Amino acid sequence: MERRNLLKGAVAAATVTAAAPAISQNAAARTLRFVPQANLANFDPIWGTQYVVRNAAAAVWDTLYGVDENLVPQRQMVEGETVSSDGLTWEFRLRPGLIFHDGTPVLAKDVVASINRWAPRDPMGQMLRAIQDELVAVDDRNFRWKLKRPYPKMKYALGKCGTPCCFIMPERIAATAGNSMISEYVGSGPMTFKRDEWVPGARAVFEKFGRYTPREGAASWLAGGKRILVDRLEWVVMPDPATAANALQAGEVDWWESPISDLVPLLRRNRNILVDIADPLGNIGSFRMNHLHAPFNNLKVRQAVMMALSQEDYMRAVVGSDTALWSVLGGFFTPGTSSYSEAGGEVMKRSNMEGAKRLLAESGYANEPVTCLVGQDQPLLKPMGDVTADLLRRLGMNVDFVATDWGTVGQRRAVRNPPGQGGWSMFHTWHAGADCVNPAGYNAVRANGDGAWFGWPSVPAVEAGVAEWFDAPTAETEKAAIDKINRAAVENVVYAPTGFFKSYQAWRRNVSGVVKGPLPFFWGVSKT
Amino acid sequence: MSAVIIPAGLAIAQPMPDVLPPVKPRRGVLGFLRRYPTIAIGGGLLLAMLCIAVFAPFLWTKDPTSLAPALRTREPGAQFWFGSDMLGRDVYSRVLYGARVSLLVGFSVAFLASVIGLTIGLFSGFIRLADSIVMRVMDGMMSIPPILLAIALMALTRGSVQNVILAITIAEIPRVTRLVRGVVLSLREQPYVDAAVASGTGTVMIMWRHILPNTLAPLTVQATYICAAAMITEAILSFIGAGTPPIIPSWGNIMAEGRALWQVKPYIVFFPAVFLSITVLAVNLLGDGLRDAIDPRLAKKL
Amino acid sequence: MWAYIIRRVLATIPVMAFVALFVFSLLYLAPGDPAAVIAGDQATPDDVERIRASLGLDRPYLVRFSEWVFRILQGDLGTSIFTNLPVGHMIAQRIEPTLSLMIVTLCLALSIAIPMGVVAAWKQGTWIDRAVMGFAVLGFSVPVFVVGYLLAYVFALELDWFPVQGYTPFAQGFFPWIENLVLPAVALGGVYIALIARITRATMLEVLQQDYIRTARAKGAGQSSILFLHALKNAAVPIVTVVGIGIALLIGGAVVTESVFAIPGLGRLTVDAILRRDYPVIQGVVLLFSFVYVLVNLGIDLLYTFLDPRIRY
Repeated sequence: MERRNLLKGAVAAATVTAAAPAISQNAAARTLRFVPQANLANFDPIWGTQYVVRNAAAAVWDTLYGVDENLVPQRQMVEGETVSSDGLTWEFRLRPGLIFHDGTPVLAKDVVASINRWAPRDPMGQMLRAIQDELVAVDDRNFRWKLKRPYPKMKYALGKCGTPCCFIMPERIAATAGNSMISEYVGSGPMTFKRDEWVPGARAVFEKFGRYTPREGAASWLAGGKRILVDRLEWVVMPDPATAANALQAGEVDWWESPISDLVPLLRRNRNILVDIADPLGNIGSFRMNHLHAPFNNLKVRQAVMMALSQEDYMRAVVGSDTALWSVLGGFFTPGTSSYSEAGGEVMKRSNMEGAKRLLAESGYANEPVTCLVGQDQPLLKPMGDVTADLLRRLGMNVDFVATDWGTVGQRRAVRNPPGQGGWSMFHTWHAGADCVNPAGYNAVRANGDGAWFGWPSVPAVEAGVAEWFDAPTAETEKAAIDKINRAAVENVVYAPTGFFKSYQAWRRNVSGVVKGPLPFFWGVSKT
Repeated sequence: MSAVIIPAGLAIAQPMPDVLPPVKPRRGVLGFLRRYPTIAIGGGLLLAMLCIAVFAPFLWTKDPTSLAPALRTREPGAQFWFGSDMLGRDVYSRVLYGARVSLLVGFSVAFLASVIGLTIGLFSGFIRLADSIVMRVMDGMMSIPPILLAIALMALTRGSVQNVILAITIAEIPRVTRLVRGVVLSLREQPYVDAAVASGTGTVMIMWRHILPNTLAPLTVQATYICAAAMITEAILSFIGAGTPPIIPSWGNIMAEGRALWQVKPYIVFFPAVFLSITVLAVNLLGDGLRDAIDPRLAKKL
Repeated sequence: MWAYIIRRVLATIPVMAFVALFVFSLLYLAPGDPAAVIAGDQATPDDVERIRASLGLDRPYLVRFSEWVFRILQGDLGTSIFTNLPVGHMIAQRIEPTLSLMIVTLCLALSIAIPMGVVAAWKQGTWIDRAVMGFAVLGFSVPVFVVGYLLAYVFALELDWFPVQGYTPFAQGFFPWIENLVLPAVALGGVYIALIARITRATMLEVLQQDYIRTARAKGAGQSSILFLHALKNAAVPIVTVVGIGIALLIGGAVVTESVFAIPGLGRLTVDAILRRDYPVIQGVVLLFSFVYVLVNLGIDLLYTFLDPRIRY
């Protein structure tokens, strides 16, 4: 759809006198313009765990390992590793020719510093630190990690795509404390970040890093040869989906990460636009409860909510009427993968309001207010909050609806005080399906009390299952452990999943190489 | 807030008439309305909107907050007169209930800003010492564009209708204060006020008996403009997400929710937009009509 | 005259001082703890306390205020809580789109509104006059985002004459630049046109009754020369005043217009900052807009002394 442009004639006339537009036209074919799911508000992938930060960071920083499309970790910056027979000592060797964007070589000491900054902020990293004996750079290309106990999921921990990823940065940047943001963005990956062109809320610009040496072979998700086929990548932040849809139709942008399903029919009508599922692993919506305080410290109240909850309502409100995009969950793990289990999960699958009301009456619920934190600026979370307010009210609970921004939710959910003193009772979020395929990356299902994710559930049976999974020698025993976790998580309502949903991505026909995955991969994408 | 500026500016540029000509309805109410058709039209529309707001529950509405995700984004028709939104809520009911928020905010702000501005303006017009301080503060407040001032105040608090009213009121006070002060300053020089002062009448008495009555007329006109401005500001605040909490249906909120789909489902934005525009238009017409009726000398010019 | 100019310039100091005090108090009174935001998800209370001390958040109000003013005077507007970028830098990045929008709107509004007002005054009482006045009431009544969506729907989506959204920097050429600004400027200009048209008509009516106009007519001067040469020149002062005061409308409207048309300017920055409660950014924007507004009106006041030599101070 070309614009019947009022000013076209005038523009053409101007082109004769000025050569500049012709040059920029040429450059346009080498510039990929991408609409991300959200604004890139900060750019420290260790400090900030939003998916959008991770997605940008994956282009700028490389990782030691990287998961491929089967979620199997493959060597990335690492050339090879050896594990001692007792499983306690890991020796890693870096690939030759790795350099940072400032031209300095990537050394083992940079890697050690990067791991040290990442590990305390990551659930798997925390486990590693708990059993760590020493982590040292042996020489420029080798480093050694000695553990007190074997840790078979080592490569997965260093190569997973769940946030925070273990990105490798220069030592001086990785020396920044984990709770302050880095202010220098010298990467190790295939693209450089143009700090001077970064306009938070509007734009972020990346350029191909010419001196990056990709691995041999084709790229597969975070693994393989990350070959950048464009010169420049521009992230254009859109204030709302409607404007993004217009821009894509008009060819003002090339690729839109997360079109809302209501606009997809509009995009499909356009011959120049292709639409496909973005990530087959999808997302799991979450109704996260605070297990420390009333009313959700009461198991029966939590069970009542899970029983009353209609995943279909949530999914229709969040994703829309396109039933190809969502399904109702009978468990906590990602559907369509080998770990999906519905053990004990019948209760989740359909709403039983009458049963829930009875359960609530039995629970001794004393009309304590339910403080719901709802981030209004998140297109996925706002409708979930609206459905929840309606649900809890129908269930007969006393709703204290706090409509706020996601940043404030992120801040307030960390407060352990009772709801009346700055705390909270529930909030919504979602987890990428890629993070929920096994207990290793899935911190939201963990229930180790104080050490658990916000809400601090404490369910020994879940933790026992997790321990069994980590030690599981075979696929069958892993599956048995997963079933155990799932049953315990449902029974104790670690949180209440609100459904499984996928989203679309859309791009112009002249762009090729877009793959399905949990994050947008810019390598292998070209534009004509 | 636009309309607020002209009368205020004029009131400062040209002193108000010394004694306001009495308005005599020649042939009863009907005759009065015939003479001032804008009052009839504006007042009529506003009355209709007021009825909609008050009697919303009886106008074939449903619960404006009840969800039906299975029935989302239905086009306007027999089931949903104005269609349904992304959560399957009835847009017709939401728009009708939305009138409540808009009118409540408009009237409350008009009333509060007038009363507070009048008080401050009277005192600052009469007491020289207070005047210089108050007017510096008012100048400072007026140098912050009103919407930005309201936005900044809303950033400090949790969104609620009361806070929206408060924030817009604060942003509107300086203009009322300046208007009232202007009138007071021009009246203070009048011989009969001098006479009252000379005869030993107390300041408060002078204000009450001589100044206040002459202030009320221009203030009433000003209040209608403030009402219109407040309704627009409320909608803007809600539209950008810094106003009425989203759980309460207000026209700004409905539009904010519908904007993502405005290309494919324009009716979600269209209906509240039309209602908002009509209501503001009604208030502005009423204000223009009142100004014509109260002050024919000014009316001929504006 | 010089004494007046100096007095007028000095008078802006208390005004700006008040604005500064207000804007600072905004951050001081802001709920929530910036230190907690900066510390992030997994911070311990000790971390928060350390950051609080390093930001100087634990010191008294007046100490912090004076330090803050001192930094502002040096041009340091602080650091955004969410992006960790200097606020001054973030503002500088976004000035061009907003300034462009304002200038185009101003040009558009003046070139439409003044002729409208003049013609309405000239044809007082006719249907032209009524149409102009009717338009003015409509302009005041239809909110800017309603006009914006309506224009985008008709002229961008249906007719496809203009781009729906976005901004092209001036450096990439005049036509791409202006193309993106036409619809936003019309949407934003509605209220402003209404305002200026009304004040132009009102002042023109007054001026047209003056003796010198009658003299000019008697001398046989042409109608347009009387209107635009003699009368408009004498009506300039009130019109320019309202143009200046109306800048506040443009600033307020820009916040909304930029959201509707996805223009990456200061308005969008403000809205984003509000939604995330990024107080240093809110402070910076309010301070900047108020400063500009005060300066513009100061400039206009000073302009009088040249526009209208009859004004003596």
